Order: sequence, then C-alpha cells, then structure tokens
Amino acid sequence: MGEAGPAIHCESLGRRFGRRWVLAHVDLTVERAESLLLAGANGSGKTTLLRVLAGLSRPSAGSVRILGSDPHSERLTCRRSLSMVSHRAYLYDGLTAIEMLRVWARLCERSISDAELDGLLEEVALIDHRDLAVGGFSSGMRKRLTFLRTRIENPDILLLDEPLAALDTAGMDLVEAWIEREVARGTTVVVASHAIPRMSRICKRALLLEDGQIAWEGPAAGLPAQLERQG
Amino acid sequence: MRTVGQIVALVRKDLLLEWRGRTRGLSVVLFGVVTLLLFSFAVGPDTAALQTGAAGFLVLALLLSSTLALSESFRLEHENHALEGLLLAPVEPVALYYGKALSNTLFLLLLAPILTPVAVVLYAVEISLLDLAEVIGLWGLAAAGLSAPGTLFAAMTSRLRSQDVLLPLLLFPLVVPVMLGSVKAIDLVLTGDPMQQLGSWTMLLAGFDVIYWSLCGVLFTYVVEEGV
Repeated sequence: MGEAGPAIHCESLGRRFGRRWVLAHVDLTVERAESLLLAGANGSGKTTLLRVLAGLSRPSAGSVRILGSDPHSERLTCRRSLSMVSHRAYLYDGLTAIEMLRVWARLCERSISDAELDGLLEEVALIDHRDLAVGGFSSGMRKRLTFLRTRIENPDILLLDEPLAALDTAGMDLVEAWIEREVARGTTVVVASHAIPRMSRICKRALLLEDGQIAWEGPAAGLPAQLERQG
Repeated sequence: MRTVGQIVALVRKDLLLEWRGRTRGLSVVLFGVVTLLLFSFAVGPDTAALQTGAAGFLVLALLLSSTLALSESFRLEHENHALEGLLLAPVEPVALYYGKALSNTLFLLLLAPILTPVAVVLYAVEISLLDLAEVIGLWGLAAAGLSAPGTLFAAMTSRLRSQDVLLPLLLFPLVVPVMLGSVKAIDLVLTGDPMQQLGSWTMLLAGFDVIYWSLCGVLFTYVVEEGV
C-alpha cells in the first residue's frame, strides 16, 4: 500500500437498492489523518456510504479506493488498514467479554496477553464484567466493548457510525476523548453522527448528505450554522 | 499459516458457543435417536430386515439430523450481525468457510458415538469394537461430505424465511454420491465384505469429500460478499 495519495477517494459513487438510489454521484476525497463528520437526516445515505467504504456493500456506480486499493478486489489489504464501529454490535451473546476480545485478537493475528486485554476492559469500565456473557450486557456496554475491537485492530482509517448512540454521558465522554486521541495520533476518521455539537468540535471537515447526494461541504465548525440555515 | 490460525480461532469460537448453548446439540441428538426409532417401528420386529437396512437407516438419520444442525449453524452469526463483524476483520472468506465447515463436521462427528450404539442395539447388529470404530470413521467421512455443501447452502439460505425447506431441497440431490458411498461402505462393515469392496467405496467417499471441500470453499466467497 503506497504512502502517497488520499486515505479515501470516491468518484461518482452510487449505491442503489432495487430502483431506489440511496447514494448518487458522490465525489469524496478524505486525506490521510483528516477527520470528517458526515451529517444528514435519517435515510440520507450516511450508513450506506460508510458500508460502501468499509467494503460491506458493493457500489452500484462509480469507484472507491481505500489507501489506493479497491475494497473488493484487494479485500485483505483494505481490511488490515480499516476498522468500523456501527450501531450493529458484531458480538456473540454466548461469549464473555474477555473471550470476545480474544477472538478478535486471534482473527487480527495480534498476540495480546490477557493482562493487556484486561487493561482495555478497564479503559471502558467493563473490567468487572470481564467474565460475564455478552448476552446480558446493556446496549451501552455492548457499544463500549465494540469500541475495543478497533483498539485491537489499530487501523489507519476509522469509520464510525453513530458512535455516541446508546451511550450514557460518561460513555459519550469516553468515546469522544478516544476519537480525539485517534485524530491526534493521525488516524483518518470518518464519523456519521447526529451529535453535531460534540462531533463538530472533534472533526475538521464536515459533509452534509441529502437524499444520497452531497448537499454541503465545509469546515465542521460551520456545520451547525449551515443546519440552522436549512431549518 | 495466518489463515490456518484464523480457522482454528473460528472453530474454537464455534465449539465454545456450541458448548455454552447446548440446545442445538441436544435437539439434534434427540432428533437422530427418534429417527432411528421410527425406522425400527416402520420395519417392525423383522430382525433380518432391520439388520439389512441398518446402514441405510444410520446414514439417513445422519442426513436428517445434519439438515437440522446445518440450518442452525448460521443463526448465531446473524444475531447481532456477527458475520458482518467477521467480514470486517482481516480474514479471507475462505477461512470463514473452512472454520464453519470444520465446526459443522466436528459437530456431526460427535453424533456418531451416540447414534451408532443406539442403531446397534435397535437393529440387533452384531459388530466388534474394531468394526464400531470403522463405522465411526466412515461416519466422519460422510459428515465431512455433508458439511461441505451443507455449510455453503446454509450460508446461502440463512437469511431466508424458507430456509428449513430450501436447505434440504438444495442439499439432498447434491449429496447423493456421499449417501450412496457411506451406506454401501457402512453396510460392508456391518454385514461383511467378502469381495473386498470396502476400500473402493471409502475412496469414492473420500474423493467426493475432496471435491466438495475444494469447490465449496471457492464458491463461499461469492455467497458472503453481498449476503451480509
């Protein structure tokens, strides 16, 4: 994977489900170490865009390059540099928190000791639930555990879909601080969120989607004013 | 080596979940025992007929139990969209397939030490311990031959409401060679092999296993790519 070029590059990207185009004519470039906030009403195409970028959904039109690679034909190369947290938990209810982390570590071929995994659980205040089945976790606890997956994967690009959903205030502060750390250490971060005030403080650039198309693009600090103008 | 490590991790995860849940295991074992019982009731108290059909009944019990087991094997992967989580990891779909197919094979293999003695008692078959071990070995080959296409079709149908109907419809015609090979081979172990045919049937069974395991591994990539 080359060191030059943007982290994410989309040209005339489109995705349709049946006859309905959920994304259309999206031209997007996210530079390395840049942080981008995706905003838009429900159904505007934020999640679909993130899924296409993650390689979970094939574009119906146009092209996507992740660090210069195609997410489908160069699947593994992209997977190694990209991590995604969505509102889907990706957890097995029958496994305990520590077992879940062990599975992720093994799949990512990371040799992480149990002590290190305990440290990660401590970070998200789940250490007391280390040996409890994930099936008994609340949505917020599941979300916290899901975030640890990205810590294990240690990606160059981080895609976050509603990262603050289902979290309490402490959890939101925790995740916000963690995203800030990731941005500071040079990870490319793309966040789709409705928590505009919080996220526009962290992200440099913002993009507003409307009916699957880019309606506005500019500095994240200008997004709240733009949304106000649009009513 | 990377892929092998990931396959091992996936198999361990599946077996752990299976052990924690145990309901699938219990229901599949009970289903297999009930099937064997039904065959003995259908044939009646004719010991000779029971002994003649023992191999067929045993393999049919495996086939019917396997559809139950296979259709359930992807249920856990769709809870909380765990399969999507696996696809996001740096894991080749081929590793996901072999992990799941191996778990299914091991699961079906575990039925052998339970169902074979039940069949031996129900159908009044006289076999030595060595023959019993041979039957379990052949059962393993049959289980592998069922699991390979079964895992592929279970993945294909796992999100459909009609999975319970579609899976056997797709699977049964494809596994006819495995059924024939395993029934014949197990029958030769149970009733004697004067013409030394066991080796040929076992080779046929193993040959189909190799074909299924190679082909289905390649096809699985296309199944999961847009199917999550």
